[in-house]
Amino acid sequence: MGDSQYSFSLTTFSPSGKLVQIEHALTAVGSGQTSLGIKASNGVVIATEKKLPSILVDESSVQKIQCLTPNIGVVYSGMGPDFRVLVRKSRKQAEQYHRLYKEPIPVTQLVRETAAVMQEFTQSGGVRPFGVSLLVAGYDDNGPQLYQVDPSGSYFSWKASAMGKNVSNAKTFLEKRYTDDMELDDAVHTAILTLKEGFEGQISGKNIEIGIIGSDKKFRVLTPAEIDDYLAEVE
Amino acid sequence: MSKAAVDLPPKGGFSFDLCKRNDMLAKQGLSGPSFRKTGTTIVGLIFQDGVILGADTRATEGPIVCDKNCEKIHYMAPNIYCCGAGTAADTEAVTDMVSSQLQLHRYHTGRESRVITALTLLKKHLFNYQGYVSAALVLGGVDCTGPHLHTIYPHGSTDTLPFATMGSGSLAAMAMFESKYKEGLSRDEGIQLVVEAICSGIFNDLGSGSNVDVCVITKGHKEYLRNHLLPNPRTYVNEKGYTFPKKIEVLMTKITPLKERVEIIETGDAMEE
Repeated sequence: MGDSQYSFSLTTFSPSGKLVQIEHALTAVGSGQTSLGIKASNGVVIATEKKLPSILVDESSVQKIQCLTPNIGVVYSGMGPDFRVLVRKSRKQAEQYHRLYKEPIPVTQLVRETAAVMQEFTQSGGVRPFGVSLLVAGYDDNGPQLYQVDPSGSYFSWKASAMGKNVSNAKTFLEKRYTDDMELDDAVHTAILTLKEGFEGQISGKNIEIGIIGSDKKFRVLTPAEIDDYLAEVE
Repeated sequence: MSKAAVDLPPKGGFSFDLCKRNDMLAKQGLSGPSFRKTGTTIVGLIFQDGVILGADTRATEGPIVCDKNCEKIHYMAPNIYCCGAGTAADTEAVTDMVSSQLQLHRYHTGRESRVITALTLLKKHLFNYQGYVSAALVLGGVDCTGPHLHTIYPHGSTDTLPFATMGSGSLAAMAMFESKYKEGLSRDEGIQLVVEAICSGIFNDLGSGSNVDVCVITKGHKEYLRNHLLPNPRTYVNEKGYTFPKKIEVLMTKITPLKERVEIIETGDAMEE
Protein backbone atom coordinates (compact mmCIF):
# COMPACT_ATOMS: atom_id res chain seq x y z
CA MET A 1 0.00 0.00 0.00
CA GLY A 2 1.08 3.61 -0.36
CA ASP A 3 1.56 3.78 3.39
CA SER A 4 4.96 2.13 3.48
CA GLN A 5 6.38 4.86 1.25
CA TYR A 6 5.46 7.39 3.92
CA SER A 7 6.70 5.56 6.94
CA PHE A 8 10.25 6.91 6.78
CA SER A 9 9.53 10.30 8.28
CA LEU A 10 7.52 11.03 11.35
CA THR A 11 6.40 14.43 10.27
CA THR A 12 4.77 13.35 7.04
CA PHE A 13 1.16 12.23 6.85
CA SER A 14 0.40 9.08 4.89
CA PRO A 15 -2.33 9.24 2.19
CA SER A 16 -4.74 7.52 4.55
CA GLY A 17 -4.32 10.37 7.03
CA LYS A 18 -2.22 8.53 9.59
CA LEU A 19 1.19 9.26 11.02
CA VAL A 20 2.69 5.85 10.57
CA GLN A 21 5.45 6.33 13.13
CA ILE A 22 2.88 6.82 15.85
CA GLU A 23 1.16 3.60 14.82
CA HIS A 24 4.54 1.86 15.11
CA ALA A 25 5.07 3.45 18.52
CA LEU A 26 1.73 2.04 19.66
CA THR A 27 2.89 -1.36 18.44
CA ALA A 28 6.00 -1.00 20.57
CA VAL A 29 3.74 -0.27 23.51
CA GLY A 30 1.55 -3.24 22.69
CA SER A 31 4.49 -5.59 22.92
CA GLY A 32 5.58 -4.24 26.29
CA GLN A 33 4.76 -5.85 29.63
CA THR A 34 1.16 -5.62 30.80
CA SER A 35 0.24 -2.81 33.11
CA LEU A 36 -3.15 -1.68 34.39
CA GLY A 37 -4.87 0.83 36.59
CA ILE A 38 -8.18 0.89 38.48
CA LYS A 39 -9.90 3.91 40.01
CA ALA A 40 -11.76 3.07 43.21
CA SER A 41 -14.16 5.30 45.12
CA ASN A 42 -11.50 6.23 47.66
CA GLY A 43 -8.26 5.84 45.76
CA VAL A 44 -6.43 4.53 42.69
CA VAL A 45 -4.27 1.45 42.16
CA ILE A 46 -1.77 0.89 39.34
CA ALA A 47 0.07 -2.35 38.75
CA THR A 48 2.47 -3.93 36.31
CA GLU A 49 4.31 -7.16 35.59
CA LYS A 50 7.96 -7.01 36.41
CA LYS A 51 9.45 -9.77 34.27
CA LEU A 52 13.20 -9.49 34.27
CA PRO A 53 15.29 -10.83 31.37
CA SER A 54 17.25 -13.18 33.63
CA ILE A 55 17.23 -14.49 37.20
CA LEU A 56 20.62 -12.86 37.65
CA VAL A 57 19.10 -9.36 37.53
CA ASP A 58 18.78 -7.73 40.97
CA GLU A 59 15.02 -7.13 41.03
CA SER A 60 15.21 -4.66 43.91
CA SER A 61 17.11 -2.24 41.66
CA VAL A 62 14.31 -2.13 39.10
CA GLN A 63 11.38 0.10 39.88
CA LYS A 64 8.79 0.45 37.15
CA ILE A 65 6.25 2.44 39.15
CA GLN A 66 7.54 5.94 39.90
CA CYS A 67 6.33 8.84 42.01
CA LEU A 68 5.96 12.19 40.21
CA THR A 69 4.72 14.24 43.17
CA PRO A 70 3.74 13.09 46.66
CA ASN A 71 0.18 12.57 45.39
CA ILE A 72 0.72 11.41 41.79
CA GLY A 73 2.28 8.16 40.59
CA VAL A 74 2.86 6.68 37.14
CA VAL A 75 3.41 3.30 35.47
CA TYR A 76 4.17 2.47 31.84
CA SER A 77 4.12 -0.14 29.11
CA GLY A 78 6.78 -0.04 26.43
CA MET A 79 10.38 1.19 26.43
CA GLY A 80 11.87 1.71 29.87
CA PRO A 81 14.48 4.34 28.90
CA ASP A 82 11.82 6.54 27.25
CA PHE A 83 9.81 6.28 30.45
CA ARG A 84 12.75 7.52 32.53
CA VAL A 85 13.09 10.62 30.36
CA LEU A 86 9.37 11.40 30.65
CA VAL A 87 9.40 10.91 34.41
CA ARG A 88 12.30 13.34 34.73
CA LYS A 89 10.56 15.97 32.60
CA SER A 90 7.23 15.56 34.41
CA ARG A 91 8.82 15.87 37.84
CA LYS A 92 10.51 19.07 36.77
CA GLN A 93 7.24 20.48 35.40
CA ALA A 94 5.40 19.62 38.59
CA GLU A 95 8.10 21.30 40.64
CA GLN A 96 8.05 24.43 38.43
CA TYR A 97 4.27 24.65 38.81
CA HIS A 98 4.65 24.37 42.56
CA ARG A 99 7.27 27.11 42.66
CA LEU A 100 5.09 29.47 40.66
CA TYR A 101 1.68 28.86 42.25
CA LYS A 102 2.73 27.47 45.64
CA GLU A 103 0.15 24.69 45.38
CA PRO A 104 0.58 21.02 44.44
CA ILE A 105 -0.04 20.54 40.74
CA PRO A 106 -3.52 19.15 39.94
CA VAL A 107 -3.45 15.74 38.21
CA THR A 108 -5.10 17.05 35.02
CA GLN A 109 -2.48 19.79 34.64
CA LEU A 110 0.42 17.40 35.00
CA VAL A 111 -1.12 14.96 32.53
CA ARG A 112 -1.72 17.79 30.09
CA GLU A 113 1.85 19.00 30.31
CA THR A 114 3.30 15.50 29.96
CA ALA A 115 1.05 14.89 26.97
CA ALA A 116 2.25 18.17 25.46
CA VAL A 117 5.85 16.95 25.73
CA MET A 118 4.95 13.69 24.03
CA GLN A 119 3.14 15.58 21.28
CA GLU A 120 6.17 17.84 20.73
CA PHE A 121 8.19 14.81 19.79
CA THR A 122 5.66 13.91 17.10
CA GLN A 123 5.95 17.26 15.39
CA SER A 124 9.64 18.13 15.59
CA GLY A 125 12.39 17.24 13.19
CA GLY A 126 15.02 14.69 13.91
CA VAL A 127 13.28 13.10 16.88
CA ARG A 128 11.07 10.06 17.27
CA PRO A 129 7.92 9.58 19.36
CA PHE A 130 8.22 8.08 22.83
CA GLY A 131 7.66 4.33 22.79
CA VAL A 132 5.60 4.30 26.00
CA SER A 133 2.04 4.69 27.12
CA LEU A 134 1.62 6.00 30.65
CA LEU A 135 -0.99 5.38 33.30
CA VAL A 136 -1.02 8.34 35.68
CA ALA A 137 -2.74 7.82 39.03
CA GLY A 138 -3.36 10.72 41.37
CA TYR A 139 -5.53 12.04 44.15
CA ASP A 140 -6.18 15.77 44.44
CA ASP A 141 -9.08 18.10 45.27
CA ASN A 142 -11.13 16.55 42.48
CA GLY A 143 -10.81 13.12 44.06
CA PRO A 144 -9.07 10.01 42.70
CA GLN A 145 -8.15 10.13 39.01
CA LEU A 146 -6.61 7.76 36.46
CA TYR A 147 -5.33 8.94 33.07
CA GLN A 148 -3.78 7.10 30.15
CA VAL A 149 -1.36 9.01 27.89
CA ASP A 150 -0.40 7.61 24.48
CA PRO A 151 2.72 8.21 22.35
CA SER A 152 0.72 10.58 20.16
CA GLY A 153 0.09 12.83 23.14
CA SER A 154 -3.61 12.08 23.49
CA TYR A 155 -4.89 11.38 26.96
CA PHE A 156 -8.08 9.99 28.39
CA SER A 157 -9.45 9.61 31.86
CA TRP A 158 -10.35 6.03 32.69
CA LYS A 159 -12.22 4.21 35.41
CA ALA A 160 -10.05 1.18 34.69
CA SER A 161 -7.60 0.54 31.89
CA ALA A 162 -4.87 -1.82 30.75
CA MET A 163 -1.96 -1.58 28.28
CA GLY A 164 0.75 -3.74 26.80
CA LYS A 165 0.59 -7.43 25.95
CA ASN A 166 -2.68 -9.15 26.66
CA VAL A 167 -4.51 -5.84 26.70
CA SER A 168 -7.79 -7.10 25.20
CA ASN A 169 -8.16 -9.96 27.70
CA ALA A 170 -7.28 -7.67 30.57
CA LYS A 171 -9.78 -5.03 29.46
CA THR A 172 -12.55 -7.59 29.07
CA PHE A 173 -11.80 -8.91 32.54
CA LEU A 174 -11.85 -5.39 33.98
CA GLU A 175 -15.12 -4.53 32.24
CA LYS A 176 -16.76 -7.50 33.90
CA ARG A 177 -15.29 -6.90 37.32
CA TYR A 178 -15.42 -3.12 37.64
CA THR A 179 -18.05 -1.53 39.89
CA ASP A 180 -18.40 2.18 40.61
CA ASP A 181 -18.43 1.80 44.38
CA MET A 182 -15.34 -0.36 44.61
CA GLU A 183 -13.05 0.38 47.52
CA LEU A 184 -9.27 0.56 47.30
CA ASP A 185 -8.64 -2.91 48.76
CA ASP A 186 -11.13 -4.51 46.34
CA ALA A 187 -9.45 -2.65 43.52
CA VAL A 188 -6.05 -4.07 44.52
CA HIS A 189 -7.50 -7.60 44.52
CA THR A 190 -9.08 -7.04 41.12
CA ALA A 191 -5.79 -5.70 39.78
CA ILE A 192 -3.93 -8.77 40.99
CA LEU A 193 -6.53 -11.11 39.48
CA THR A 194 -6.32 -9.26 36.15
CA LEU A 195 -2.53 -9.56 36.09
CA LYS A 196 -2.78 -13.23 37.03
CA GLU A 197 -5.00 -13.89 33.98
CA GLY A 198 -2.22 -13.40 31.48
CA PHE A 199 0.73 -14.21 33.73
CA GLU A 200 3.20 -16.85 32.58
CA GLY A 201 4.70 -18.63 35.54
CA GLN A 202 4.23 -18.25 39.26
CA ILE A 203 3.01 -14.81 40.37
CA SER A 204 4.64 -13.43 43.53
CA GLY A 205 5.56 -10.19 45.26
CA LYS A 206 8.88 -10.18 43.40
CA ASN A 207 7.57 -10.21 39.84
CA ILE A 208 4.76 -7.70 40.02
CA GLU A 209 4.72 -4.10 41.21
CA ILE A 210 1.72 -2.31 42.71
CA GLY A 211 1.33 1.36 43.57
CA ILE A 212 -1.61 2.79 45.48
CA ILE A 213 -2.89 6.17 46.53
CA GLY A 214 -5.68 6.52 49.05
CA SER A 215 -7.61 9.37 50.63
CA ASP A 216 -4.46 10.32 52.54
CA LYS A 217 -3.21 11.62 49.15
CA LYS A 218 0.17 9.92 49.51
CA PHE A 219 1.31 7.77 46.62
CA ARG A 220 3.37 4.77 47.58
CA VAL A 221 4.69 1.60 46.02
CA LEU A 222 3.83 -1.57 47.95
CA THR A 223 6.71 -3.65 49.29
CA PRO A 224 7.03 -7.26 48.05
CA ALA A 225 5.89 -8.44 51.51
CA GLU A 226 2.68 -6.39 51.27
CA ILE A 227 2.04 -7.73 47.76
CA ASP A 228 2.48 -11.28 49.04
CA ASP A 229 -0.15 -10.55 51.73
CA TYR A 230 -2.63 -9.37 49.09
CA LEU A 231 -1.81 -12.42 46.97
CA ALA A 232 -2.55 -14.70 49.91
CA GLU A 233 -5.91 -12.94 50.40
CA VAL A 234 -6.75 -13.47 46.74
CA GLU A 235 -6.03 -17.21 46.85
CA MET B 1 15.65 19.35 8.70
CA SER B 2 16.11 21.92 11.45
CA LYS B 3 14.32 21.47 14.72
CA ALA B 4 11.01 23.34 14.69
CA ALA B 5 11.00 26.30 17.05
CA VAL B 6 9.50 25.00 20.25
CA ASP B 7 8.26 27.66 22.63
CA LEU B 8 10.96 27.91 25.27
CA PRO B 9 10.29 29.85 28.48
CA PRO B 10 12.44 33.02 28.70
CA LYS B 11 15.90 32.28 30.09
CA GLY B 12 16.06 33.53 33.67
CA GLY B 13 18.86 35.28 35.50
CA PHE B 14 19.91 38.83 36.12
CA SER B 15 19.98 41.06 33.04
CA PHE B 16 22.94 43.43 33.24
CA ASP B 17 21.64 45.64 30.43
CA LEU B 18 20.72 48.63 32.55
CA CYS B 19 23.82 48.72 34.76
CA LYS B 20 25.64 51.22 32.56
CA ARG B 21 22.64 53.53 32.58
CA ASN B 22 22.34 53.26 36.36
CA ASP B 23 26.01 54.12 36.78
CA MET B 24 25.58 57.17 34.60
CA LEU B 25 22.53 58.32 36.55
CA ALA B 26 24.32 57.79 39.86
CA LYS B 27 27.21 59.96 38.63
CA GLN B 28 24.70 62.68 37.77
CA GLY B 29 23.46 62.59 41.35
CA LEU B 30 20.32 60.43 41.23
CA SER B 31 20.02 58.22 44.34
CA GLY B 32 18.46 54.90 43.50
CA PRO B 33 15.27 53.52 45.13
CA SER B 34 15.84 51.75 48.41
CA PHE B 35 14.74 48.12 48.72
CA ARG B 36 13.37 46.10 51.57
CA LYS B 37 16.28 44.76 53.62
CA THR B 38 15.83 42.44 56.51
CA GLY B 39 18.36 44.20 58.81
CA THR B 40 18.41 41.19 61.00
CA THR B 41 19.97 39.03 63.56
CA ILE B 42 20.19 35.39 62.52
CA VAL B 43 22.03 32.70 64.46
CA GLY B 44 22.65 28.97 64.47
CA LEU B 45 24.34 26.55 66.78
CA ILE B 46 25.05 22.85 66.98
CA PHE B 47 23.91 21.11 70.13
CA GLN B 48 24.26 17.50 71.19
CA ASP B 49 21.36 16.08 69.13
CA GLY B 50 21.37 18.42 66.13
CA VAL B 51 21.07 22.05 65.07
CA ILE B 52 19.13 25.05 66.42
CA LEU B 53 18.48 28.06 64.21
CA GLY B 54 17.16 31.40 65.45
CA ALA B 55 16.08 34.67 63.86
CA ASP B 56 14.41 37.97 64.73
CA THR B 57 11.30 39.08 62.83
CA ARG B 58 11.80 42.70 61.77
CA ALA B 59 12.01 43.70 58.10
CA THR B 60 13.18 47.26 57.34
CA GLU B 61 12.95 49.60 54.37
CA GLY B 62 15.62 52.14 55.16
CA PRO B 63 14.56 53.70 58.49
CA ILE B 64 11.04 52.27 58.43
CA VAL B 65 9.95 48.93 59.83
CA CYS B 66 7.91 47.47 56.98
CA ASP B 67 7.11 44.07 58.51
CA LYS B 68 6.94 43.61 62.27
CA ASN B 69 6.61 39.84 62.11
CA CYS B 70 8.21 38.42 59.01
CA GLU B 71 9.56 34.87 58.67
CA LYS B 72 13.29 34.65 58.18
CA ILE B 73 13.73 30.92 58.70
CA HIS B 74 13.10 29.33 55.30
CA TYR B 75 12.32 25.72 54.50
CA MET B 76 14.87 23.98 52.27
CA ALA B 77 14.16 20.28 52.85
CA PRO B 78 12.39 18.28 55.57
CA ASN B 79 15.72 18.09 57.40
CA ILE B 80 17.32 21.39 56.37
CA TYR B 81 16.33 24.99 57.17
CA CYS B 82 18.01 28.26 56.21
CA CYS B 83 17.95 31.71 57.87
CA GLY B 84 18.34 34.67 55.53
CA ALA B 85 19.72 38.17 56.03
CA GLY B 86 20.14 40.94 53.45
CA THR B 87 17.62 41.82 50.77
CA ALA B 88 14.38 40.02 51.61
CA ALA B 89 13.49 39.27 47.97
CA ASP B 90 16.92 37.77 47.31
CA THR B 91 16.86 35.47 50.34
CA GLU B 92 13.31 34.32 49.55
CA ALA B 93 13.99 33.70 45.88
CA VAL B 94 17.30 31.91 46.32
CA THR B 95 16.10 29.63 49.13
CA ASP B 96 12.92 28.85 47.18
CA MET B 97 14.89 27.97 44.07
CA VAL B 98 17.38 25.74 45.86
CA SER B 99 14.55 24.07 47.79
CA SER B 100 12.95 23.19 44.43
CA GLN B 101 16.24 21.81 43.11
CA LEU B 102 16.70 19.72 46.26
CA GLN B 103 13.20 18.27 45.85
CA LEU B 104 13.96 17.17 42.27
CA HIS B 105 17.26 15.71 43.46
CA ARG B 106 15.42 13.74 46.14
CA TYR B 107 13.09 12.27 43.54
CA HIS B 108 15.95 11.23 41.31
CA THR B 109 18.13 9.70 44.03
CA GLY B 110 15.43 8.43 46.40
CA ARG B 111 17.48 9.68 49.37
CA GLU B 112 17.26 12.36 52.04
CA SER B 113 18.98 15.62 51.03
CA ARG B 114 22.36 16.44 52.51
CA VAL B 115 23.19 19.85 53.97
CA ILE B 116 26.35 20.03 51.89
CA THR B 117 24.23 19.64 48.72
CA ALA B 118 22.14 22.67 49.68
CA LEU B 119 25.35 24.53 50.54
CA THR B 120 26.97 23.85 47.18
CA LEU B 121 23.84 24.76 45.20
CA LEU B 122 23.52 28.05 47.10
CA LYS B 123 27.16 29.08 46.83
CA LYS B 124 27.30 28.26 43.12
CA HIS B 125 24.32 30.50 42.48
CA LEU B 126 25.59 33.37 44.63
CA PHE B 127 29.08 33.25 43.12
CA ASN B 128 27.58 33.29 39.63
CA TYR B 129 25.93 36.62 40.42
CA GLN B 130 29.13 38.06 41.87
CA GLY B 131 27.52 39.42 45.03
CA TYR B 132 24.62 41.17 43.28
CA VAL B 133 22.24 38.69 44.91
CA SER B 134 22.44 40.20 48.35
CA ALA B 135 21.70 37.16 50.49
CA ALA B 136 23.68 36.24 53.60
CA LEU B 137 22.51 32.87 54.89
CA VAL B 138 22.87 30.60 57.87
CA LEU B 139 22.17 27.07 56.69
CA GLY B 140 21.64 24.25 59.16
CA GLY B 141 20.37 20.69 59.11
CA VAL B 142 20.84 17.08 60.10
CA ASP B 143 21.48 14.40 57.50
CA CYS B 144 22.95 10.90 57.36
CA THR B 145 26.44 12.27 58.06
CA GLY B 146 25.37 14.18 61.17
CA PRO B 147 24.41 17.76 62.11
CA HIS B 148 25.88 20.59 60.01
CA LEU B 149 25.90 24.38 60.27
CA HIS B 150 27.22 26.71 57.55
CA THR B 151 27.26 30.44 56.81
CA ILE B 152 27.12 31.71 53.23
CA TYR B 153 28.16 35.22 52.22
CA PRO B 154 26.65 37.16 49.29
CA HIS B 155 29.76 36.71 47.17
CA GLY B 156 29.66 32.95 47.54
CA SER B 157 32.17 32.11 50.25
CA THR B 158 31.12 29.74 53.01
CA ASP B 159 32.16 28.79 56.54
CA THR B 160 31.46 25.66 58.52
CA LEU B 161 31.09 26.42 62.20
CA PRO B 162 29.72 25.04 65.48
CA PHE B 163 27.95 28.37 66.10
CA ALA B 164 27.35 31.28 63.72
CA THR B 165 25.64 34.65 63.47
CA MET B 166 24.86 36.90 60.47
CA GLY B 167 23.14 40.19 59.80
CA SER B 168 23.38 43.65 61.29
CA GLY B 169 22.88 42.28 64.79
CA SER B 170 25.53 39.59 64.36
CA LEU B 171 28.07 41.23 66.65
CA ALA B 172 25.58 41.57 69.49
CA ALA B 173 24.53 37.94 69.06
CA MET B 174 28.10 36.68 68.67
CA ALA B 175 29.03 38.34 71.96
CA MET B 176 26.47 36.09 73.70
CA PHE B 177 27.63 32.97 71.85
CA GLU B 178 31.32 33.58 72.46
CA SER B 179 30.83 33.89 76.17
CA LYS B 180 28.26 31.15 76.77
CA TYR B 181 28.66 28.50 74.06
CA LYS B 182 30.02 25.10 74.96
CA GLU B 183 29.96 21.74 73.20
CA GLY B 184 27.29 19.19 74.06
CA LEU B 185 24.51 21.60 74.99
CA SER B 186 21.15 20.03 75.74
CA ARG B 187 18.07 21.06 73.78
CA ASP B 188 16.74 23.46 76.42
CA GLU B 189 20.16 24.99 77.06
CA GLY B 190 20.61 25.43 73.31
CA ILE B 191 17.23 27.12 72.84
CA GLN B 192 17.93 29.35 75.84
CA LEU B 193 21.26 30.45 74.39
CA VAL B 194 19.79 31.10 70.93
CA VAL B 195 16.99 33.15 72.47
CA GLU B 196 19.50 35.17 74.48
CA ALA B 197 21.58 35.84 71.39
CA ILE B 198 18.59 36.97 69.31
CA CYS B 199 17.28 39.14 72.14
CA SER B 200 20.71 40.73 72.37
CA GLY B 201 20.40 41.59 68.69
CA ILE B 202 16.80 42.77 69.05
CA PHE B 203 17.54 45.17 71.88
CA ASN B 204 20.94 46.46 70.77
CA ASP B 205 20.59 46.70 66.98
CA LEU B 206 18.19 49.03 65.16
CA GLY B 207 17.88 46.70 62.19
CA SER B 208 16.53 43.85 64.33
CA GLY B 209 13.49 43.71 66.51
CA SER B 210 10.08 42.29 67.37
CA ASN B 211 9.91 38.55 68.07
CA VAL B 212 12.17 35.51 68.19
CA ASP B 213 11.71 32.53 65.84
CA VAL B 214 13.47 29.28 66.66
CA CYS B 215 13.87 26.08 64.66
CA VAL B 216 15.20 22.86 66.21
CA ILE B 217 16.36 20.13 63.82
CA THR B 218 17.35 16.66 65.04
CA LYS B 219 17.72 13.34 63.27
CA GLY B 220 14.37 12.52 61.70
CA HIS B 221 12.51 15.32 63.45
CA LYS B 222 12.16 19.09 63.26
CA GLU B 223 10.32 21.71 65.30
CA TYR B 224 9.61 25.14 63.88
CA LEU B 225 8.81 27.35 66.87
CA ARG B 226 7.36 30.40 65.19
CA ASN B 227 7.28 33.39 67.57
CA HIS B 228 8.82 31.34 70.34
CA LEU B 229 9.33 34.51 72.36
CA LEU B 230 7.49 37.82 72.10
CA PRO B 231 9.61 40.33 74.03
CA ASN B 232 7.99 43.38 72.37
CA PRO B 233 4.24 43.18 72.94
CA ARG B 234 2.00 46.23 72.54
CA THR B 235 1.01 46.74 76.14
CA TYR B 236 -0.20 50.31 76.25
CA VAL B 237 -3.85 50.86 75.41
CA ASN B 238 -5.60 54.07 76.45
CA GLU B 239 -8.65 53.11 78.59
CA LYS B 240 -10.41 56.36 77.82
CA GLY B 241 -10.57 55.37 74.19
CA TYR B 242 -10.24 57.93 71.42
CA THR B 243 -11.60 61.45 72.03
CA PHE B 244 -11.84 64.15 69.41
CA PRO B 245 -9.73 67.20 70.29
CA LYS B 246 -12.49 69.85 69.98
CA LYS B 247 -16.17 69.51 70.72
CA ILE B 248 -17.63 68.02 67.55
CA GLU B 249 -21.38 67.65 67.06
CA VAL B 250 -22.81 64.59 65.40
CA LEU B 251 -25.08 65.96 62.69
CA MET B 252 -26.22 62.76 60.95
CA THR B 253 -25.59 59.01 61.33
CA LYS B 254 -25.91 56.81 58.28
CA ILE B 255 -24.82 53.16 58.40
CA THR B 256 -24.53 51.35 55.07
CA PRO B 257 -23.98 47.58 55.41
CA LEU B 258 -21.47 46.41 52.79
CA LYS B 259 -23.14 43.99 50.38
CA GLU B 260 -21.30 41.34 48.42
CA ARG B 261 -20.20 42.89 45.14
CA VAL B 262 -19.91 39.53 43.38
CA GLU B 263 -23.03 37.75 42.17
CA ILE B 264 -22.67 34.01 42.41
CA ILE B 265 -24.55 32.13 39.71
CA GLU B 266 -25.14 28.64 41.11
CA THR B 267 -25.67 26.80 37.85
CA GLY B 268 -23.71 28.29 35.02
CA ASP B 269 -22.15 26.84 31.88
CA ALA B 270 -18.84 25.16 32.51
CA MET B 271 -15.90 26.97 30.95
CA GLU B 272 -14.86 25.44 27.65
CA GLU B 273 -11.56 23.63 28.06
